[in-house]
Amino acid sequence: MLYREAGDFKTTYREDNQTFPIKSERVLFWAAMAVAFLVVPFFVNSYWEKSVLVPLLVWSLVALGLNILTGYCGQVSLGTGAFMAVGAFACYKLMTAFPGLNIFFVVILSGGVTAVVGMLFGLPSLRIKGFYLAVATLAAQFFLVWVFNKFAWFYNYSASGQITAPQREIFGVIVTGPNAAPWATYLFCLTILFLFAWLARNLTRGRIGRSWMAIRDMDIAAEIIGVDPLRTKLSAFAVSSFFIGVGGALFFSVYLGAAEVTEAFGIDKSFLALFMVIIGGLGSVLGSFLGAAFLVLMPVLLKNIFVGSLGWPTDVAAHIQIMLIGGLIVFFLIVEPHGLAQLWRLTKEKLRLWPFPY
Amino acid sequence: MNVHVREDMERHVLRADDGIVMGEDLLKVDHISLSFGGVKAITDISFDIKKGEIRAIIGPNGAGKTSMLNVINGFYHPQEGTITFRGKRRRRVRPYETAREGIARTFQNIALFKGMSTLDNIMTGRITLQKRNMFWHGLWTGPAEREEIEHREAVERIIDFLEIEHIRKTPVGRLPYGLQKRVELGRALAAEPALLLLDEPMAGMNLEEKEDMSRFILDVNQQYGTTIALIEHDMGVVMDLSDRVVVLDYGRKIGDGTPDEVRNNKDVIDAYLGVPHE
Ligand SMILES: Nc1ncnc2c1ncn2[C@@H]1O[C@H](COP(=O)(O)OP(=O)(O)O)[C@@H](O)[C@H]1O
Ligand SMILES: [Mg+2]
Repeated sequence: MLYREAGDFKTTYREDNQTFPIKSERVLFWAAMAVAFLVVPFFVNSYWEKSVLVPLLVWSLVALGLNILTGYCGQVSLGTGAFMAVGAFACYKLMTAFPGLNIFFVVILSGGVTAVVGMLFGLPSLRIKGFYLAVATLAAQFFLVWVFNKFAWFYNYSASGQITAPQREIFGVIVTGPNAAPWATYLFCLTILFLFAWLARNLTRGRIGRSWMAIRDMDIAAEIIGVDPLRTKLSAFAVSSFFIGVGGALFFSVYLGAAEVTEAFGIDKSFLALFMVIIGGLGSVLGSFLGAAFLVLMPVLLKNIFVGSLGWPTDVAAHIQIMLIGGLIVFFLIVEPHGLAQLWRLTKEKLRLWPFPY
Repeated sequence: MNVHVREDMERHVLRADDGIVMGEDLLKVDHISLSFGGVKAITDISFDIKKGEIRAIIGPNGAGKTSMLNVINGFYHPQEGTITFRGKRRRRVRPYETAREGIARTFQNIALFKGMSTLDNIMTGRITLQKRNMFWHGLWTGPAEREEIEHREAVERIIDFLEIEHIRKTPVGRLPYGLQKRVELGRALAAEPALLLLDEPMAGMNLEEKEDMSRFILDVNQQYGTTIALIEHDMGVVMDLSDRVVVLDYGRKIGDGTPDEVRNNKDVIDAYLGVPHE
């Protein structure tokens, strides 16, 4: 009996509200967490850290943030790259201005700064919707990148225009800078992602999440039953940008180590995040992870196959890889518009009934 | 009607105790005029809704009935006229503010939240009653969870009352039309409103569904003590359910009174019923 609901009756509303209502699912989840926190750190090397695990964790956080805004609240944004940049630059300025401040708090504060900026750029959402809002956020994307380029104060007047993360420690363990060990950066990102995933789940399971979804599904009816559209949309922009800002701070300080804004936080990052939530599943916490995993792991996998196994030249492999991933995105949009999360749900429904589907 | 619902109703009546005695004016609209560009949707309409009654609003298509509800909701702002709710003359408000003052609503074209289950749709109806802020919801365990469970219990009583236990977890988009209408009523009831506006709640239903819906509306009115404004085309239903009727035609009021008075009013017969009554 691997996956069964039988005998798993819910007798209280509290149990009915559980994140994983089925016991085997709960067991699976905590087992996976135990492996992630207690086993993986012993085996992670620099290749797995830099090409797979840390980008996976950081992009999951960013996708989660965008999914709150776009998937739950229905506000399309093409400004994700710029909001990551806000988090990154806030992180850099805080790290250099307050060297004694613990990096954990620096990262959280960077999210706070991004939340404020995100709210500001969310203001137009009260008046404009859909496609037009997407264009407005696109303007934010270009404007913010321009600002970080234009004003040298943001990169502490460095000659290259780059920002570079100094070395910082948590409990004596180095987590940023070139001397950070793979297991340390991995665990740092994993812990933060775990906290934020828990936060996202909590915010989306109750009143706050319902008010976001109400605005998404039918904004006029939502307002008539008592949802304040401005507050609700701004709260979605704030929370979303908070997540994305923390993601940007980690992307810069832990993953890249050094960054130049146009290259690191361009419009391509905005689209990448958007593809993640679309492929993973709009309005699903799990979908954010699946989408991020798909778009982070797929290129690594394809590269290994093409270059590693088949011995193709790198540039040819890179082009084919882009085409393949583009094709897969289109395929998903057509075949399963509700994303990987929906496929997972359907599989579960089948499993639940298996082997007697009727 | 089970015991829970009755207890809930008693609590509700206490909560809605705003000093207005049954039978006194709950809502008064005075000399309301509303136009869109050149189109006059409502011209100089006045009527009142008394606490505890079912007040029907009837009239041919395009008469301005839905527009009138939208004015009461604060969704449209009339060019002229005043609205007095619970004895207070109302300033210009946003729709979500009228919801907080105790006005709930269903829509002529179903306006459910398609991406949510029946349960979540009805839970959303309680949004004005939930107080915990984002901080507590982020933590979940503790006050936010307790509040959610408390409201879940109230919502389950409504689900019982409307006999929709079996579709509790179903996404509303998958429900047949008649059930969607019922869920929408549930969402409005969840707000425990002082005034419930129903815009053609039985349009497009078969006889059995209409009978069910009529029964729910009467029960809500009698057991919860909720005041109801009802737009309905089926004259049989209107005559059965309503205490008083206001008749609109081309944006003007042409009749106002008990169902019998309205039925015998010559203007109403000419303009609306078109044919002499049975
Ligand atoms: N938002 C709007 N813009 C323009 N005209 C409108 C709008 N809402 C209603 N109207 C007009 O107001 C009149 C009354 O419409 P409505 O209130 O929907 O009538 P009813 O509900 O009685 O069928 C109609 O002529 C309609 O075209
Ligand atoms: Mg109408």
